[in-house]
Amino acid sequence: MHSKQDKKLKLLWFQGVTCNGNTHSFLNLPNIEQLLENFEILYHPILPSIYSLEEILKLEENCDLFLFEGTYDPLMQHNGVELSKIVDYYTKHATHVISVGTCASFGGMFKATAPERNSGLIFNEEESFGPLLEQKQKVINLSGCPVHPEWLSYTLSMIVSDKEVEVDELHRPIELYSNLAHHGCTRNEYFEWKVDVDNFGEKEGCLFYKQGCRAPMTHASCNKILWNEVSSKTRVGTPCFGCTEPDFPRTDMFSTKTNMSIPQDTPLGVPKRSYLTLTGIAKTFHIKRLEGKLIDYKTTR
Amino acid sequence: MITKQLVDKIEGEASLYFELEDEKVSFATVSFPHTRGMELMLEGKNALDALVITPRVCGICGHAHLMATVRAIEDAYKNAGYEIHLSEKVELLREFTLVMEMVQNHFKWMYLTIIPALSKLTNSSQELTPLKGAFAASIATKAIATFAGQWPHSSYMIPGGVTADPTNIDILKAQSYLSELKTFFEKESLGVSLEDFLAFDSCNDFTKLSSDVGALNEALLKTDMHIKGFADDTFIVLGEHTFTEVTKLKHTRHIGVQHKYVSTEPSYSPHEKTYAKNALYKDAYYETGPLARSLSNNFAIIKNIHRRYKDSAYSRVMARVFELASLIQHASSLLKKLDIADTSFTKSVDISKINARGVGVVEAPRGPLMHTIDIENGVIKKYSIITPTQWNIGSSHKEKPTPAQRAMIGLTKEEANFVFRTFDVCSVCTTH
Repeated sequence: MHSKQDKKLKLLWFQGVTCNGNTHSFLNLPNIEQLLENFEILYHPILPSIYSLEEILKLEENCDLFLFEGTYDPLMQHNGVELSKIVDYYTKHATHVISVGTCASFGGMFKATAPERNSGLIFNEEESFGPLLEQKQKVINLSGCPVHPEWLSYTLSMIVSDKEVEVDELHRPIELYSNLAHHGCTRNEYFEWKVDVDNFGEKEGCLFYKQGCRAPMTHASCNKILWNEVSSKTRVGTPCFGCTEPDFPRTDMFSTKTNMSIPQDTPLGVPKRSYLTLTGIAKTFHIKRLEGKLIDYKTTR
Repeated sequence: MITKQLVDKIEGEASLYFELEDEKVSFATVSFPHTRGMELMLEGKNALDALVITPRVCGICGHAHLMATVRAIEDAYKNAGYEIHLSEKVELLREFTLVMEMVQNHFKWMYLTIIPALSKLTNSSQELTPLKGAFAASIATKAIATFAGQWPHSSYMIPGGVTADPTNIDILKAQSYLSELKTFFEKESLGVSLEDFLAFDSCNDFTKLSSDVGALNEALLKTDMHIKGFADDTFIVLGEHTFTEVTKLKHTRHIGVQHKYVSTEPSYSPHEKTYAKNALYKDAYYETGPLARSLSNNFAIIKNIHRRYKDSAYSRVMARVFELASLIQHASSLLKKLDIADTSFTKSVDISKINARGVGVVEAPRGPLMHTIDIENGVIKKYSIITPTQWNIGSSHKEKPTPAQRAMIGLTKEEANFVFRTFDVCSVCTTH
C-alpha cells in the first residue's frame, strides 16, 4: 500500500492579471517548508518548479491542484497561449481549484484594467460569472488583497488531509470568512461606546465613524489570525478597506459616508433604525476613560 | 538570426530577442507583454485612494509605491500653499519600513533568483536553498507589519504622517526581529559577523568566506562575471533618504540632479508588442539600484570593486549583497532614534481643497521610483509612475543601447539571461 508521502499532490500556481502580491504574501508563511513537502510544484511564479513556464504552456501535464492568482482576462496571453485555454486545460483535470486573492475570486483591483471582460474565476464581483461556472463545485475562493498566508495554508492542509472545506455562498471557507475583520479589533471598546476619532495616528477611537473603516461589514479573520503574525490594519490605525469583499476596491476609502453624522452602511445584519437608536443613546454617555489618551508619554516621563 | 527567450520568475514575464553572431549576442531587445493600466485606473479617484491603489502596482515593492504616493500628495499640498510638517518619528518610521522592504527584496533576490540562476549557468550540483530567502524575508516583513499593520499592501502612510501610534513594546519587538534577522544573515549567509563583513574594504576579503556569500563570490569569478555584463558606467540616484546621496555618476564623478529632467520614451520592440517605456535623464540612460546607491555613498569596498571590475555583473551582484548588510545595520540605527512621545500625524486641510501637482520620489529596491500626481479639488486628474526597471531594462536602438541591452552584448544566450537577472528585473513595475 502506498502511503500519502509516496504520492504527492501536483500543484500548479498560475497567474492572470496580477501584482504578485499573493505570491509574496504566501512566502511569509512560517511553516512554508513543511507545507510544501506535501506537494510536487509543477510551476510557481517564484519558487523552484519542476517545469519551466514554456513547458507548462505546452498544456501536456496534469495537476491535482490549480491555484490561480490575479484577475481572469480571457484575452490575456502567455507566450502566445491564451489564458482561457490554459485555465480550461488545467482545471479540467484538477480536483481542486483555488482562487488566490480577491482578483481571482471576484475580479478585484484589476477588473478595472478591462471591465467589460475581466472577472474572477466564478464571480464578477457578486454576480455568478466566469470561465469555471460549470465546475464551480471545485472552486474555493480565498479573497483578500492579498490573501493571508495562513488562509491559504489552512486550505491546502485541509485538501492534503482529504477533509472537506465548507464554503459560504461566495465559495469562501466558512472557517476563515465567517468572522468579520471587526472581530478581535483592539478598538472594539470605542466601537461599543461610539467613540469616534478626528485624526489618524492615535491608539484611541474607532475608525468606523469617520475614517472609512469597513471592518464591521467585512468577512475576514484579520484581527483573529494576525498579519505577518504580528498585527493588522486596524491595530495600526489604518481603516479596513474591505479587501476580502466582492466590491473591493471601493472609492473614497479613507472616509465614511454618513447620513446625519451616522455611517450610511451599518454593521452587517444590524437594522439601521436600531443602530441609530443605539448610537443616539451611546453618544449621550461621556466616558472619560475613553475620551482621553490611553498613555500620555509626555507626562509619564 | 533572431532568437526569442521567454524569461519568467522576474515578478512576471519578459521576452528577450537576441541577434546572434557566432553564438554571441550582438544585440538584444526586451519586450514586456502585460500591463494593468494602473495610471488610468487612478484617474477620477479621490487622491487619498491612491494610497490604497498604488501599493498594488507591485507585490514585492508596494511599500515603496506607497511612500512615493504619500510624498507626491504631500508635495501637492505644499504646492497648493499648505506646507506639511512631518515629525522626526514619522520620517524614521517611514524610512524604517521602506528599508525593511528592501531587505526582504534583497534576500529573496539572492536566494530565489541569483543563486539559482548562477547554479544553472555553472551546471552546479550544489543543493539550492531558496526557502532561506523566503524565511529571512518573512522576518523582515514582520518588522514592517509591527508598524505598518501588514506586508504586502499596507497603506499606513498618509499625508501628514502615519496611521500608527506605536508603543515601546512595538519598538522592542521590531528590534528583536531585526536582531533575529542579523543572526540568521551572519550564520546562514555571511559566515562572519555583520560588523566584520561591513568592515571589508577589498573584494579579496570575500574569498575568505566559506558561506553562501563566499560561494556566490567564487561562482561569479569562475564564470568571469567580473569581466562580463558591463553597462555604461553611469548611474543615477534620485530618492532622498537617510541612506542615499541624490546624484548621478559618470564613472565615479558625482553630478547634481533634479527630477524635472526625468522623461520617458516608447520602448523599441520590433518583434513583440511591449507596454514598457524607457526612462531617461536629459536624454540619456542610467543604471539604478544598489550599485548606483553604494557608489554614490562612497562605500570603500564598492569603490574597490568598481576600480577593479567597473560596472560588471559581478559588481552589480556584490553591491546588492553588500547593501543588504548595510541596510540591516542602518535599520537598527533608525529604530534607536525613535522618540515615542513624538506625534504620528499632523492634520492639514481636507484633500478636496487641493488643486496642484505633486511629485514623490523614493528609492525602491531596484532604484528611483517617481510618482507624479495632478490633483483637482482633491480628485486625481492625472497620475504618472516611472519605475526603476524602466531605467535599467529599457529597450532601445542599436546606436543607443540601454544599460541592460549593453550589458548583454558579447555574451552567450545563457550568460545574457543571467546578466539580465543581475539587474533584479521587476516586470509588473515596468509596465504597471
